[in-house]
Amino acid sequence: MTPRSPDAGDVVRARAVTMSYGGVDVLHGIDLDIRRGEVFALLGPNGAGKTTTVEILEGFRRRSAGEVQVLGADPEHGDDAWRARIGLVLQSWRDHRRWQVGELLTHFASYYPDPRDPAALLSLVGLAEQAGQQVERLSGGQRRRLDVALGIVGRPELLFLDEPTTGFDPQARYDFHTLVERLAGEEGVTVLLTTHDLAEAERLADRIAMLVGGRIRACGTPAELARRAAARAEVRWTADDGTARHERTADPSRLVWELHRQAEGPIPGLEVRRPTLEDTYLHMVRREADGAESAVPEEATAV
Amino acid sequence: MRATAMTHAWRAGLRRGAIELRHFARNGKETAGHLFNVVIALGVAAYISEDVPGTRTPMADLVLSGFAAYLLFQIGLVNLPQILVTEREEGALLRLRATPGGIPAYLVAKCLLVVVVAAGNIALLLASAALVVDGPLPRDPVDWLTLLWVTTLGLLSVVPLGAAIGAVLPNPREALALIMLPTMGLLFISGAVFPITSLPEPVQRVAALFPLKWIAQGLRSALLPDSARAAEAAGAWELPMVALVLSVWAVLGFLLAVPLLRRAARRESGSRLSARQHKAAQNGAAPA
Repeated sequence: MTPRSPDAGDVVRARAVTMSYGGVDVLHGIDLDIRRGEVFALLGPNGAGKTTTVEILEGFRRRSAGEVQVLGADPEHGDDAWRARIGLVLQSWRDHRRWQVGELLTHFASYYPDPRDPAALLSLVGLAEQAGQQVERLSGGQRRRLDVALGIVGRPELLFLDEPTTGFDPQARYDFHTLVERLAGEEGVTVLLTTHDLAEAERLADRIAMLVGGRIRACGTPAELARRAAARAEVRWTADDGTARHERTADPSRLVWELHRQAEGPIPGLEVRRPTLEDTYLHMVRREADGAESAVPEEATAV
Repeated sequence: MRATAMTHAWRAGLRRGAIELRHFARNGKETAGHLFNVVIALGVAAYISEDVPGTRTPMADLVLSGFAAYLLFQIGLVNLPQILVTEREEGALLRLRATPGGIPAYLVAKCLLVVVVAAGNIALLLASAALVVDGPLPRDPVDWLTLLWVTTLGLLSVVPLGAAIGAVLPNPREALALIMLPTMGLLFISGAVFPITSLPEPVQRVAALFPLKWIAQGLRSALLPDSARAAEAAGAWELPMVALVLSVWAVLGFLLAVPLLRRAARRESGSRLSARQHKAAQNGAAPA
């Protein structure tokens, strides 16, 4: 699906990364492999360690232990050449408010060896008309798109997106998703996305890791994760007497077939609901909340 | 390779500084703030008519020299920390940290901004005072030279210190409150706006520990006639002492600023930024 460049390899490789603040463990041995050209989503509730993990990979935080390679270097010792290959879009940026949009993008382009053309980039993110406008006069969505433009102006090989579409209206979200797909699909940019939005992760990500309680509880394609849900498929239909019925089953196809045979015809209100990513996610989060003491979960080291 | 990186940072920094200066000039509030200082100084100078006691130097000249010193002091210790704290809070520092060569360029740009604003302030004050209220100007090349080195060293004595303060202070609003009080206090005990000899001996000794007294004294030596030495605490300009105290502060400031700025830049991360903004929002303030 995603074209891989010939030097396909791991852009991010983390082994047994731990992090503790003042004796409290926040990460309990994270393993991650993110391949070149892939969109990788990190999902998890607040406080699960998402931000800490990403900041370790960005080189903004020192891990307590473990091994990390990002674009072939340890982020703790990443130099300017390494920085130039990484793009960052954070949700809390409110900087350079007095600058004009075009001026700011042109200025930041000048720090990189092979930048994108600022004017073309503004069109790409839909801000061509705002080029002469002051940054502080942009709307929230426009501001975030400018952040995205600043994040990719240096043609990064790896792009970090931190909850990029929070506060976007549906159209802006759609446009943003199209842009990310284009970056990954056409230009082979590797994207690490953190998000709360399961639909966003499902739509954009080639693979998803679920981080709960400082451990990666599951990792795989959206379809794999959905299947992994202990939850069974749910079949709903309306019985002959007009009452709504529903049943959970591991084999919904068989149940539907049996229903059809019994009814000898169409079944009113028939609906099959496959387990979704959300089911898996909620299952993981609840299990963590219920029994954090069950120390060794079976999926802890799934990569 | 290393050399190219350096040139690159310098070029990016100068471009950045030039853009920031343009924004500064266009920002009505900020320019008005600096102009206001000058207008106040002129007003006070025009109002005073007596001479410095024991001399035939107009008190107004002493006050104008003192204001010039205070302008440098304020740019280094009030304006600069405020800019640094604000930009840190908004995430500019983090963005530059995430940009190759961003932090060196940021420092170059800030130096350019501070030097141009300081030089502009002093030039504007002295020129307008000379034109409007018959204010003092250096009389000979030696005095011009003194004006130049005292201004330069004076700036060097407060800018690194201001950078260190800007790296440490929590947020723009608290920062202003924390800095303004001691700065104003020093303005009154340093003999900037009235002869230092009219202050009690212990107060004079406290003032002598801080750079403002020495910047003011150095500027007086450049701007006032030598006969005005009579009103100095030592009866002399003590220029070697001026150079020594200001240099010590400059060195001290650098020793503090380098690790503190490095720490501030290293500590910046997205989560800390949003945590602070969240806190600011909770305190009822509009997000910075």
